[in-house]
Amino acid sequence: MNPIISMNGIVKSFYIGTPNELEILHGLNIEVPEGQFVSIVGASGSGKSTLMNIIGALDRQTAGRYILDGIDMSKQDDSALSGIRNKKIGFVFQTFNLIARTSAMKNVELPMLYAGVRSKERTKRAKELLEMVEMSDRSSHMPNELSGGQKQRIAIARAMANDPAIILADEPTGALDSKTGRLVMDIFHKLHKEQGKTIVLITHNPELAEETDRIITLSDGNIVGDRVVSEEAAAE
Amino acid sequence: MNLGENIKLALASLKANKMRAVLTMLGIIIGISSVIMIATMGNIMENSVMDIFNSQGGSNLVGFQITMKRDAVRNYYMDTDLITEEMVESVNERFADDIDVVSMSGGSESASMRFHREDLDLMVYGVNPGYIRQSMTEVIAGRYISEKDLDKRGSVCVISDKQANKLYGSPREALGKTLSFNCMGTGYDLTVVGVYEYKLNGLMSAMVNMMGEDWNNEVYIPYTTLAKMEGINESSFFYFYININNGVNAEKFASSVRDYINNRWYRDNDSIEVWYQTGESQMSMMSEVMGIISTVISVIAGISLLVGGIGVMNIMLVSVTERTREIGVRKALGAPNGAIRSQFIIESVIICLIGGAIGIVLGILLGNIAGVIIGTMASPSAGSIVLAVTFSMAIGVFFGYYPANRAAKLDPIEALRYE
Repeated sequence: MNPIISMNGIVKSFYIGTPNELEILHGLNIEVPEGQFVSIVGASGSGKSTLMNIIGALDRQTAGRYILDGIDMSKQDDSALSGIRNKKIGFVFQTFNLIARTSAMKNVELPMLYAGVRSKERTKRAKELLEMVEMSDRSSHMPNELSGGQKQRIAIARAMANDPAIILADEPTGALDSKTGRLVMDIFHKLHKEQGKTIVLITHNPELAEETDRIITLSDGNIVGDRVVSEEAAAE
Repeated sequence: MNLGENIKLALASLKANKMRAVLTMLGIIIGISSVIMIATMGNIMENSVMDIFNSQGGSNLVGFQITMKRDAVRNYYMDTDLITEEMVESVNERFADDIDVVSMSGGSESASMRFHREDLDLMVYGVNPGYIRQSMTEVIAGRYISEKDLDKRGSVCVISDKQANKLYGSPREALGKTLSFNCMGTGYDLTVVGVYEYKLNGLMSAMVNMMGEDWNNEVYIPYTTLAKMEGINESSFFYFYININNGVNAEKFASSVRDYINNRWYRDNDSIEVWYQTGESQMSMMSEVMGIISTVISVIAGISLLVGGIGVMNIMLVSVTERTREIGVRKALGAPNGAIRSQFIIESVIICLIGGAIGIVLGILLGNIAGVIIGTMASPSAGSIVLAVTFSMAIGVFFGYYPANRAAKLDPIEALRYE
């Protein structure tokens, strides 16, 4: 299968050109084939978040090559990056980050709004997505009327809105109790199995990582482990 | 992301912070409503002034008065400097084809009369028949001073409707009655031949009503009769007015009359000559004054709008800071900078437009309440409404741009991390 994510010698430095220059990522090579459910683990300060920002097109690498779904990310300007985030990446955050005072339905529609999808189609697609995460009956609820687990399901539906190349989930169960966390993980598994979504899960929870196809372990800005877990993925 | 979506978004966000939105709008509301109110009241004033101007003859009116020569050797008038009956008559003959009416007033004297146990003050004006054109009055019973009264130095007078009602019960009953009063220590008995009332509307009638009786105590008598009371043989005048016929060029007419009088009677006068003013120039002077007044008030209103605009900018900056995280999320979901910028600009424009709309309605309302009080209705010109709407939109864009641009330029990573 084609790699969805292809990273080659990714370096990320901060405060470039100042005495405080700081290299966070030291030349990472990662290749994620389409349809893989991969987890990136590491202690805090390991460079997880920085890597996630680069994968999610929120930030650019200092050096190296990153190709996402055939697009060379180093050649994109800011406005092109927002288009890429919009169409290729579905973010799921630890703190849900639903837009306040905006209904579940409208939240799910938001990425489609920025993609210029017509109102009718947006509504139709948002309904389907809410059904997928079993939240149809909450479509008109505001975020403050929803529990954590419900919010995260809405957020997953939102991440799926423009049918992105990858789902990028940053500690999606971090703010949930184990029962609702389980429910959220089940949705990721369902997306992976039924729709063949490529999912990148950032977590520090080894148990959750064990559920995925592959675990990439990060430490001090280097990859210190890259282990295939499931037989399914091993077979490829 | 189209305009409609942005407007919905902005309205939703305003609804979420109603109190704040209203307080922010208040600045704009006050600014715009004062602009509109001023425009409305300006119209009322202009209409009233135009009414008076037109009732006196409008652009057909020319006034002549004596004035100091440029190389005057005195700075005071003498009796011999005044305009005489002879001069006016001569002008009247020579320019007969152009002249509609000449109006003259030989001045006034105060007088008093006893009525029951009351002392009533009167103001006795010596006038010619044409004077009615300048006095903004209308005869409602009997007649005005006539040429014959002038020639005979007739003991006749025309009194006001209020005087007629008070002294004789009604204007009709006043006719033929004798008005006895004391002037300069001498008693006079004049026959009432007519009753007038003021024909005013708008601002002027409001002013007349406010001044109460004072404006209605004027008694008109022939100027020759007044001169006799004053012990003068020949009446003389500081000024007189001519209403010219339609189609006569006022400027040309006025300058030839001036030259005629000056050449014939004032050539040898060392200090004094006759000077004219046309209705047109009087009007433009008045509108200049009104223009200055409304400019000053508009500048004040503009300052209040500026303050309102700064209020909008302030609240938009607060809003951007408060919603930093939301902005980060929107950016992560793929909102381009332009979409974030227009979201906030539209929000600020909507605050200003709603404020502007309320301000316009309020301004018209207040302007018309003022109109009701002074007796005329007026609406602001469409131009001033368009201007107000445009201006409030411009304020929205101008003061919204900086906060919106700040929002648009936020780093999504930083914004997402914002607590």
